[in-house]
Amino acid sequence: MSGLKRHFGEQAGLGLFLLLSTAVLMLAIAAGTGIGEMPIPLDTTFFAVTNRLGWTSFALDPIHQSVIWDYRLSRALVAACCGAGLALCGAILQSLLRNALAEPYVLGVSAGASTGAVAIIVLGFGAGTITLSAGAFVGAFASFAFVALLSDGARAGAGKTILAGVAASQLFNALTSYIVSTSANAQQARDVMFWMLGSFGGVRWPEFQLVLGVVAIGFVVCMYLAKALDAFAFGDDAAASLGIPVEAVRVILFAVTALLTATIVSMVGSIGFVGLVVPHAARFIVGPSHARLLPTCVVTGGVFMVLADIVSRVILPQQVLPIGVVTALVGVPFFSLILYRSQRSS
Amino acid sequence: MFPVKSFSALCGLMLPLALSPVSAQAAPTVYPLMLSNCGVEITFDKAPEHAIALGQNSAEIMLLLGLEDSMAGTAFWPSKVLPELAEANEKVKLLTVESPSLEGILAERPDFVAAQLLNLLGPESKVAKREDFSNLGIPSYVSPGVCATNTASGDVHGARDQLWNMDLLYQEIDELSQIFDVADRGQAVIADFKAREAALREKVASEGQDLSFVFWFSSPTPADDAYLGGKNGASGFIADLLGGTNVMQTEVEWPTVSWEGIMATNPGVIVVADLDRDRWELDKPEAKIAFLKTDPAVSELEAVKQGRIVVMDGQAMNPTIRTIYGAEQIAEQLEELGLFK
Repeated sequence: MSGLKRHFGEQAGLGLFLLLSTAVLMLAIAAGTGIGEMPIPLDTTFFAVTNRLGWTSFALDPIHQSVIWDYRLSRALVAACCGAGLALCGAILQSLLRNALAEPYVLGVSAGASTGAVAIIVLGFGAGTITLSAGAFVGAFASFAFVALLSDGARAGAGKTILAGVAASQLFNALTSYIVSTSANAQQARDVMFWMLGSFGGVRWPEFQLVLGVVAIGFVVCMYLAKALDAFAFGDDAAASLGIPVEAVRVILFAVTALLTATIVSMVGSIGFVGLVVPHAARFIVGPSHARLLPTCVVTGGVFMVLADIVSRVILPQQVLPIGVVTALVGVPFFSLILYRSQRSS
Repeated sequence: MFPVKSFSALCGLMLPLALSPVSAQAAPTVYPLMLSNCGVEITFDKAPEHAIALGQNSAEIMLLLGLEDSMAGTAFWPSKVLPELAEANEKVKLLTVESPSLEGILAERPDFVAAQLLNLLGPESKVAKREDFSNLGIPSYVSPGVCATNTASGDVHGARDQLWNMDLLYQEIDELSQIFDVADRGQAVIADFKAREAALREKVASEGQDLSFVFWFSSPTPADDAYLGGKNGASGFIADLLGGTNVMQTEVEWPTVSWEGIMATNPGVIVVADLDRDRWELDKPEAKIAFLKTDPAVSELEAVKQGRIVVMDGQAMNPTIRTIYGAEQIAEQLEELGLFK
C-alpha cells in the first residue's frame, strides 16, 4: 500500500517537475528571443512574434521584426532542440555502453563529420552542389558504419564498441589532418576550425523544422524502449532473461543516437559537454529509471543550451563566442556543485 | 638620393594626380542600378548611405573610393588599415576585428552590405546569408574574386591553377564605384593601380634582373617548417610583376616547407613578411631576420650572406589591393640593395 502510494507520489512529483521545467524551457526560449545586442523593447518583441503567427498586425520596424523572428526565435528553438537531442543521446549511450564517460561523440560521429566537412571545404567534392552540412552528415554516418562494422553490429559488447569508437575517431581525425595538411591553405584550415567549434550562427527556420523532427522521432523511439534500457543496466544476460531482444534494441538505439548526433553536428558543429553532463545531472534529480530520466534530460538539455547560447551572444559585443566554450565554462561550475552536493548527501 | 626614393615618390604622386578632375570621365550612375553579383541580381534605387563592409579588403576599397561618410561600419580586419586610409577609417565605426554577429550588423541599420569572403556572407556562413539582407530589402555584394574561384574549382578560397592577377579586383572597384555613384573615383583608382603595375613592369624590364624570390609568411617557432606564399597566389603575382619567379612551384596557396627544402631552391631574394599579429614566435620581421642570420645552416644561403633580405607587409601576400603596395615595397628595397641596374 505504502509502495503504491510512493509510486503515485513519485509520478506526481515527476509530472510536476516536468511541468515546471517545461515552463522554465519556455521562459528560456522567451529570454533567448528577448535578449540580444540590439536593444528591442519587450512589447515589440512580443508583437513581432504574434505578428508572424498571424494573430496581430502591428506596424513594426522590419529590422526588429526580422531580428526577433528570423534570427533570435529560430535560433533559440534550434538551440533547445540540439540541447535536448545531445542530452538524450548522452543518456542512451551511457546506459547502453554502461560507461559514465560515454557522450554523443563516443562513436566517432564528430570526427567523421569533420572529415566530411573538410572534404567539402578543401577538396571541393560536389563542386558546390552538396552543402557542408550534407557532407558532414555523410561523414558522421560513415564513421558510425565503421564502428558498427568493427564492433560486429554492436554485438561485441560495450568495451569493444567504445574501443571501436576510439579507433574510428582516430582514423577520421587522421584523415582530416591529412586532407588539411596536404591540400588546404591557411584560410581553409581556419574555416574548418571555425566550423568545427560549433555555433548557432547559421541556423534559421528550415534547420529548426529538420532538427525538431529528428529529435522528436528519437525521443519517441527512446521512450518506447525506456523499460528495455532500464534492463540493460543489469547486463545483457539479465536483459535477455527479461525477454528483451537485446541485439535488436541495441542496434536501433545506436542508430537513433547516430542519426541525432549526425544531424546536430552537421548543423551546428561539435558542441561538447552537454551530452556528457546533463544526463548525470538529470540522474541526480530524478534517479536512473529511463522513463523519468529521458524526459528530464530533454528538458534540462534544452534549457541549458538556450541559456548557454544567450551567454555566447551577449558576452562579447558585436561578436559571437563559440558555443562550446560557453557550455564548458557555464557547465563545469554547475556540475561541480551537483557533484559536491551528491557527495555530501551520500 | 633621388633614384632611391623614386618609387615612394611615384606612389605618393600618382593617386592625387589620377584623382584630378582632368582624368575623371566616367558617367554618373543612373538609378535604379541593376547589377549581377555572383549569380544574384541586386538593385539600387540610390547610392547607399549606411554601408557595412565585411572584410578588410572590402573596407579598404570603399575607403580608397572616399566613401567613409557613406559607411556605417566595418568588421574582420586581419591586419592594420593601410596608413594613408587611417584617417578616413577613424570616421567609420569598427564593429569588431573578428567575425561580427548578424544582429550587430543589423543594429547599424545598413542599406548595403559588401563582403570579402563567403564565410562572412554566403550560404554556409555563420555570420549572415544573402537572404538575411535581401528579405529586408538590403542589397548585398560579394567580392567577384571569391565567386570566380569558387565556381571554377569548388574551392572557397581558390587553389588556383592559374596565376592570380588584379582583373577581378578591378571589377570589384569598378562595380562598387558604380553602386556609390563615384565612378570617376573608381576609374581613377583603377587607372592609378594599373599605372603603378605598368611602372613596376617597365622598371624591371629595363633595369631589373631575373630574380628568384621566396615569400616567408611566418613560422610558429624556428624549429618548425615555414609557411610560404605559393606559386599562383598573390606572392606569385608579385614575383612575376618584379620580373622574377617564386621558388615555390607548388599550386598550393600556402605551402609549408622545411628549411632544407627552402635551401634546396637557393632563392635569390628572401622576402620576410611583416605581420601585425603577435601569435607566433616568428611573426615579426626582426625575429625572422635574426633567425636567417644566426641559424648555422640557413645563414649559409647565398641570399643571406649577401644581405638580400627584404621586408614586406604580410597582408600583401593575400590577394587584395595591398598586393600592389607589397610589390612596390619590395622594389624599393631591391633598388637600395643595388639589384636594379
